[in-house]
Amino acid sequence: MDYLLELKVLWAAIVAYVLGGVLAIVSVALGRRDERKILALMLAGLVLHTVSLGMRWERVGHGPFITLFEILSSNVWSLMLAFVVAYWRIPKIRASAAVVMPIMFVMMGWLMVAHPGEGHFPPTYHTPWLFIHIGLAKVFLGAVLVAVGLAGVILLRRAGIGLRRFATLPADERLEELAFRCLALGIIFDSLMLIAGAIWAQDAWGRYWAWDPLETWSFVTWLLLAVALHLRVTYRPAPARTAWMVMAVFVMAFLTFFGVPFISTSPHKGAV
Amino acid sequence: MQESSVIAAGPPSPWSERWRVWRNWLGSLRFALVNLLLLFAGVWVVYLELPGALWALVLPLASSALNLLVAIAVNGAFRRQLPLLAFHLALLAIVVLVALGRLTYLRGAVEIVDGGEFDGVLTTRDAGPWHAGRLAEVRFANLGFAIDYDPGLRRGQTRNEVAYRDADGAVVRTTIGDQTPLRLLGYRFYTSFNKGFAPSFVWHPAGGGEPAFGAVHLPSYPLNEYEQARDWEIPGTGIPIWTMLRFDEIVLDPDKTDQFKLPGRHDVVVRIGEQRWEMRPGMAVDLPAGRLQYVGVRGWMGYSVFYDWTVPWLLAAAVTAVLALGWHYWRKFAARPWNQAKDDGLSA
Repeated sequence: MDYLLELKVLWAAIVAYVLGGVLAIVSVALGRRDERKILALMLAGLVLHTVSLGMRWERVGHGPFITLFEILSSNVWSLMLAFVVAYWRIPKIRASAAVVMPIMFVMMGWLMVAHPGEGHFPPTYHTPWLFIHIGLAKVFLGAVLVAVGLAGVILLRRAGIGLRRFATLPADERLEELAFRCLALGIIFDSLMLIAGAIWAQDAWGRYWAWDPLETWSFVTWLLLAVALHLRVTYRPAPARTAWMVMAVFVMAFLTFFGVPFISTSPHKGAV
Repeated sequence: MQESSVIAAGPPSPWSERWRVWRNWLGSLRFALVNLLLLFAGVWVVYLELPGALWALVLPLASSALNLLVAIAVNGAFRRQLPLLAFHLALLAIVVLVALGRLTYLRGAVEIVDGGEFDGVLTTRDAGPWHAGRLAEVRFANLGFAIDYDPGLRRGQTRNEVAYRDADGAVVRTTIGDQTPLRLLGYRFYTSFNKGFAPSFVWHPAGGGEPAFGAVHLPSYPLNEYEQARDWEIPGTGIPIWTMLRFDEIVLDPDKTDQFKLPGRHDVVVRIGEQRWEMRPGMAVDLPAGRLQYVGVRGWMGYSVFYDWTVPWLLAAAVTAVLALGWHYWRKFAARPWNQAKDDGLSA
């Protein structure tokens, strides 16, 4: 019964997110200003999603970190939270929701088709470092998602799409500067995530690094992020080029966070 | 004054000019980029297990160390910006520590029967060429372990009681497990998923010498549930012997929450050459060279052993690097808001 109620609440959250996202896209397309309604819908989605996650946590006795369904659900929640904070605190970039929300729709669709069954919580996951590690990763991914929204606007404008619709947003150079700052925030939290993960791995598996699939992909993502930041400082590329770098970092981070747990039996080698 | 000193110094020689160009290149952001890309490629070589994986990492790391060293020495920005200097020094420290760690580390494994003592010798061992620890001095006893299982034979928490002598010679008993290794003289002993049953024997030599204890570490349980047999040798004799543990009770119930336990009613099948015996605890067989007595079954725990003195220093360097980078960005971004320019609107 709890199981069904939990899924119903999750569905309600997704509906709220989708309504908010659709309204954001329609607002940009029609040049309307529905920002308060969009924010309210996103917040309603977040509250419902939090309740659903809390119910599941209470029911299965562990956080949403084990199955693909749990990983997707907690990441949709954290990414929405990151974007809602950006949407609320930086009004000038709100139209970028028209870029970000379609990405979120893809993840929500994936979440809806993932099996919501329970997974085994391995003994090596009983550590506060798990929460620290995952929390830092979510901040990193959230920062990169906001950068993707800005980069998407730059690329759409370069392609001649939505020139008038995105006119309320700052100039490409400003958006590129903000995207760069998001990447800088991203590398700080990505580095902290790797450090916390290494501490956990040392305690749990007796090694701080072992080139397992998730470790390797995470490090590759970190390297790509470092390359993107170095390229920007070294060559001062045009905003469109920085935007492509942001997209590349996001794709790599997305593959790391969602691709590796999807193809691997356990996110980390030796996790069970 | 300035002009005369320039005249006195003369034009720079081709060598010094060439050195200046090289030095600037070695300490440049462009060279840093090249190294990052090389490291990027190196990581893929390691991940895909291609040949030359070691060098694919060592070369870009060594090259990065050179880049960082030269950049710190020649780039004035590092002297003007303390956080940037701290960040790059910490990065350099990480590269050096990782290299030292690889030269001095030790990884290994050992299996110890309940009631048995670690004697400083590992079953498997993989160490860097400069490893010089004090493993031979390390002693501790395995006092027994408990492991929880969830339905479906999913392993839960492991609790292993061990005892060792502290620096004052006092016996210390403690419990280690999944997140808590035993730390002795810089070595960490972790319990592992590798554990099982150990039929135990006492060998009484025919000549009247000291009895010898022997425990046969059968293949890991429940992973090898149907292969609980092994060849071994009677201690100090070289007599080959085959032993199989038999029991018909459910030791670990896959349908419910359970705990690892030893089989109660059981026997061991012992075969030496063409002869075969079925033995229960306390039974003995007489051989020409002596008497073999079956004592009973115990558990054995497999430990993975880890030594790397660089770990706390690596952690300190990594945290310093991140804090310094955060400080650098904080100062940089706080100095100018992202939307400070007045050209808001379309830039196309």
